[in-house]
Amino acid sequence: MIEIQNLTKTFGPIRAVDNLTLKVPEGTMVGFLGPNGAGKTTTIKILTNLITATSGRAYLHGVDVLRDPKMALSKVGAVVETPEFYPYLTPEETLAYLGRVRGMHSSEIKARSNEVLTEVKLNEWRSTRIGKFSKGMKQRLAIAQALLHEPDILILDEPTSGLDPRGMVEVREIIRALKKQHYTIFMSSHLLLEVQETCDRAALIDKGKLLVYDSIDNLKNLTKVTKIEITMLRDADESLLSKVRALSNVRALERVNGSTFLVTFEGSQEDKAALLRDIMAMGTPITGFSPVGLPLELMYMDLIKESR
Amino acid sequence: MTDHAHSDPGPPNDLAQVQVVWWYELLRYLRSKRLVGSIIIVVAILGLIYAIPPAVGTPYKGTVVNGSVGLTELNISFQGITVWGFGSLKSGEIELDTLEVLRDGAAFPSNSGANWIFVDEASFGGVQISANSLLFMQNVSGSDITASYDWHMPVQEFDVVFINFASILVVICATFFGADSIVGEFQNRTGYLMFPNPMKRSSLFFGKFAASVTAGVIIVGLFYIGTALLSFLTLGAVDDDFGMSFAFAFEYLVAVIAIAYLISSVLRGSTGALVLTFFMFIMILPIVDSVSMFAGVKINASVTFASGAMLYTMYDPYPEDTVNTDFGMTFYQYYPEPGLAALVMLAYLVAALALSLVLFKRKQLAG
Repeated sequence: MIEIQNLTKTFGPIRAVDNLTLKVPEGTMVGFLGPNGAGKTTTIKILTNLITATSGRAYLHGVDVLRDPKMALSKVGAVVETPEFYPYLTPEETLAYLGRVRGMHSSEIKARSNEVLTEVKLNEWRSTRIGKFSKGMKQRLAIAQALLHEPDILILDEPTSGLDPRGMVEVREIIRALKKQHYTIFMSSHLLLEVQETCDRAALIDKGKLLVYDSIDNLKNLTKVTKIEITMLRDADESLLSKVRALSNVRALERVNGSTFLVTFEGSQEDKAALLRDIMAMGTPITGFSPVGLPLELMYMDLIKESR
Repeated sequence: MTDHAHSDPGPPNDLAQVQVVWWYELLRYLRSKRLVGSIIIVVAILGLIYAIPPAVGTPYKGTVVNGSVGLTELNISFQGITVWGFGSLKSGEIELDTLEVLRDGAAFPSNSGANWIFVDEASFGGVQISANSLLFMQNVSGSDITASYDWHMPVQEFDVVFINFASILVVICATFFGADSIVGEFQNRTGYLMFPNPMKRSSLFFGKFAASVTAGVIIVGLFYIGTALLSFLTLGAVDDDFGMSFAFAFEYLVAVIAIAYLISSVLRGSTGALVLTFFMFIMILPIVDSVSMFAGVKINASVTFASGAMLYTMYDPYPEDTVNTDFGMTFYQYYPEPGLAALVMLAYLVAALALSLVLFKRKQLAG
């Protein structure tokens, strides 16, 4: 379990993390969301002993990482940003190094290295010096080293950041597989789809403050704002668009092309049905009426806008 | 992770982790071009120092056949011995069992000192004479005195020529193996891999430091071994203070690496740390030492001044401070006192190591 209590980190006049309190229950996967500079990485760096906190507590398995990082991190695997590896070592040697630092026996290191390198599809590169690796390969190796000692907690900081599309897919697949293994995972990400599909819960922070922390299902319902793409059989003229704009619950309207426009809508499912009915009543046949954007994304945009 | 729960003995103790870090850091040096480069430097320097003097007409040993012995009349008595004069042989060490003296082409033996005696000192009875002289007890003026003998450069002199380079080699080692050790973890982002491990930063620090010292000892040791080997092969002996010189070199190496670690903990870039470490010990501090000496101030607290002990300890006797006045100016020549030099280097080592450890522990990967 991860428990953050009143965590604050200041850099001069800037409060990167502001009195943050958060609990990640055992066996759950929590997405940590927020715009750039929100304090996600700072929080994760405090949890992983990369930086110190100005005040507050951060417990990993009940041990305060700020007071006893050695014990607190003993069952934690972490990938923070894209770490660099020692280029003179091979993946096999890197895992042996880290395994020995973590107190693993050599037979255990060998067996687990095989498993994790297979898991991240780096087995055929096991004896190649890392200096020649691409960023994607290094990121996969970073995940492998985090899993090596079979930690209870995984802390991942934007694990797909900076990767090409193929690398992103590969890393996302690995994370999905990890979720099935019931790790306690705390993952920051910009990818809302990833968080929505893989995480049980999500925490959203901005300017170092926690805005919301709830299950994904609850978060999806948190916002009433929806974007609906509507396509007419024929080009929609300005008078029709004006009439749609005037409908209740329509907050904005934006033309996409001649026959298609995007409506920003706020209301319940019943209101949405009423909207469809009202537009159809205007006489022009509708060929398409579909919500666009992810519920989590809309919630995210909504809350961030409010906090700013 | 609930499914993978296992009995975990926890992370190893700090010392065990220091050993692990030491080994993998050492592996870094063993696989790096820096170690290979340092070995090349050692071999090249040994080769050059060994080859150049004979190549320019100053061999380390040789044989003089019927060499003329220039005569100087003295006519002094000392402790009941009357000496007519002396004749100089070649400088260096004369192998007395090969010495044969001829007078007008005929053998002129010592005759148990009745004809001549050999002295290697530069004074006799309070009178300055040339070192390696034949003191003649009878008047040999007008005679053609020649001598044949084997000679060789004194072992101390031979070894000192090489050990002169040791202080520079120590600085090269500290630059290559210490200057970017700490800053590299931050600049190269390997700290993101190492710091989230269940290991104290002090364990990482001491493991790295031990590896830096080991790599330095390999190189400096190789240089001393090479020097000893050449000394033994050329002159059949090694200076009796050679081991003490190595002990001072080792202490200086550890102290300079500690200071390099301090620089590495303070600076943010590897290049700056490398350049500052090198020039501080090669140029900046030696200039301070020289200026201080010129001004008549003995700067015992300087680590580079103290490092002179590794060279001067080979001199017999150990040189003493001198003050000379020439051309209306006073010239000071100071030498570090061995015991004090050892303490000074130790003080630098402890202070620099402690300070760099504190800075390393406080340094954050905030970028």
